[in-house]
Amino acid sequence: MWNLARKILLHDRIKFAVAAAGVSISVMLVLVQIGLYLGFMQNASNLIDHSHADVWVMGEGNENFDFAGPIDERAYYKVASTPGVARAERMILAFGQYRLADGGQQGVQVVGLEPGGRLLTPWHVVAGDPARIHEPGKIAVDTSEFGKLKIDAIGARREISGARAEVVALTKGIRSFTTSPFVFTNLDSARAYTNFPADKLTYVLVQAEPGVDPAALARDLDALPHLDAYTTPQLSIRARHYWSSRTGVGAGFFTTAALGIIVGLVVVGQILYNGTLEHLREYGTLKAMGARNSAIVRVILYQAIISAVVGFVFGGGLAVLSRLAMTKANLTVLLTPNLVAVTAVLTLVMCCAASMLSVIKVLRLDPASVFKG
Amino acid sequence: MTHSSSAPLASLARIGKTYGDGDTEVVALADADLSINPGEILLIEGPSGSGKTTLISILGLLLKPSRGSVFVGGRDVTALPERALPKIRAETFGFVFQGFNLFPALTALENVALAIRMKGGRHPEHEARRLLAAVGLETRMHHLPANLSGGQKQRVAIARALGGNPPIILGDEPTAALDTKTALGVMDLLRTLATEQGRAVVVVTHDPRLERFADRVARVEDGRVIAIDTLAHAA
Ligand SMILES: Nc1ncnc2c1ncn2[C@@H]1O[C@H](COP(=O)(O)OP(=O)(O)OP(=O)(O)O)[C@@H](O)[C@H]1O
Ligand SMILES: [Mg+2]
Repeated sequence: MWNLARKILLHDRIKFAVAAAGVSISVMLVLVQIGLYLGFMQNASNLIDHSHADVWVMGEGNENFDFAGPIDERAYYKVASTPGVARAERMILAFGQYRLADGGQQGVQVVGLEPGGRLLTPWHVVAGDPARIHEPGKIAVDTSEFGKLKIDAIGARREISGARAEVVALTKGIRSFTTSPFVFTNLDSARAYTNFPADKLTYVLVQAEPGVDPAALARDLDALPHLDAYTTPQLSIRARHYWSSRTGVGAGFFTTAALGIIVGLVVVGQILYNGTLEHLREYGTLKAMGARNSAIVRVILYQAIISAVVGFVFGGGLAVLSRLAMTKANLTVLLTPNLVAVTAVLTLVMCCAASMLSVIKVLRLDPASVFKG
Repeated sequence: MTHSSSAPLASLARIGKTYGDGDTEVVALADADLSINPGEILLIEGPSGSGKTTLISILGLLLKPSRGSVFVGGRDVTALPERALPKIRAETFGFVFQGFNLFPALTALENVALAIRMKGGRHPEHEARRLLAAVGLETRMHHLPANLSGGQKQRVAIARALGGNPPIILGDEPTAALDTKTALGVMDLLRTLATEQGRAVVVVTHDPRLERFADRVARVEDGRVIAIDTLAHAA
């Protein structure tokens, strides 16, 4: 039956090519758009997701992870002395002005880390020694930001907000959502780079004692005056949610993806319906001879499924190609297994939905009509 | 062969069929009686619009009559619900049309096998080969309809109609699209199916030359079966 459905579908190569192209474009749009979205969202929470903290503590009322306000250093001692806290580390996250070699300026997002800290360290290190960022005036940057920073190797010396900065380590693939390159350094240098007062910081990263529930600990820390606390997964969601909903970036990507699905639906639906109309006499003949409706519907659904599979394979291929192209443009298209699986199911559902018009047509087909003309 | 003693395979009793209503009402059939016997070829002749197609559609359970009863295998099937009909059709009738209605994408073998499979038949492939051989197309099994002559296409359609081994073959002008020689060849095949396999073959036609193959001719005029002639050569 599969074989026969395939032959009926492929008989008109051009029409099949159009249907497959429709599905492919649909699949590609969904994969690339959602992949881009996931890429951006990954960037929006990557510092959080790569930390080893159980709980993050910050000033009260911060909506946005990247623009959190400063808190007093006393908060750190309060957090550190709260029962259930095994380890607390200070972190500064703020913006500084990086001076380019040609005299221009580039905003950077400075990440100041606790000396000897373990809860957040630069990851994906490809060159240099990340421990050296704890020496005064030493920084780690990402190779993908070389273009913005106008440097091309480890050892580059520049100034950030007037203070000396020397690149001692390189990471690969750590990008911010704000598009200002991350600069990893120690707490003191971070203060210098961002004009942070000496007794201020942005976050306190907390590791819970073994057996202590991070959610319960977060509630306890949240109860401290003027402080908010979230578990790491909670904060990750908050960070992504902020950018996704407040900037409309989520709606933008999903609208394009939805348009892709509609295009696919219409094209496949139209082609399948056309094919069904063309074969109405044949289907009617089979119905007249007692072919079961279920058998005829199966031939049509099989055609829809074949279109879905071919379209998914080609669309997936196109998505991988455009991911390569976008990587060159420093954009991350994140094709996660989940995304690919969901898109596969969606494609199948889309093609089957598109065939419904055809299915209804043959179900309603009056077999007596084959006697006419 | 002696068919005259056996019970009819199917029959129509006082069938009336009215299309539409009010101003657009058309009485297509009135009081039509007809019975179909095993092993015979019955021609249905009549002028255009006389009700031949309507008659054969009702006989084939594709159309509900407005009045009267339809019997299949001695059972009154007139009042059966729609969902019960495909099974009876599959077991009783094979259809052949003027336009062949073969899937252009499928070979002769695949067209026949598809129909058998869709009727829920066993070994569709094997059965399709056997049937195509029976209609003299063993060397054309893998041809697409586009590469077959009209007569060969109609033979494929006949093989397909024979799938599931129905006792009655219904044809609406099955030879109308064929030249005389080919038409007579197709009728010869149908004659063989009737004589050697005891099937009933009902053929609607305008062509009096087909009478030489027939046992009886039902003449339809204005929705009535005005005469049923038993032909001398068939007696
Ligand atoms: N679906 C329909 N709706 C309304 N009237 C119909 C319909 N089908 C047939 N008729 C009418 O019923 C009458 C009988 O039609 P039918 O098709 O049975 O004739 P026929 O003998 O097969 O004619 P032909 O030799 O031209 O095929 C005609 O007057 C026709 O116009
Ligand atoms: Mg007719």
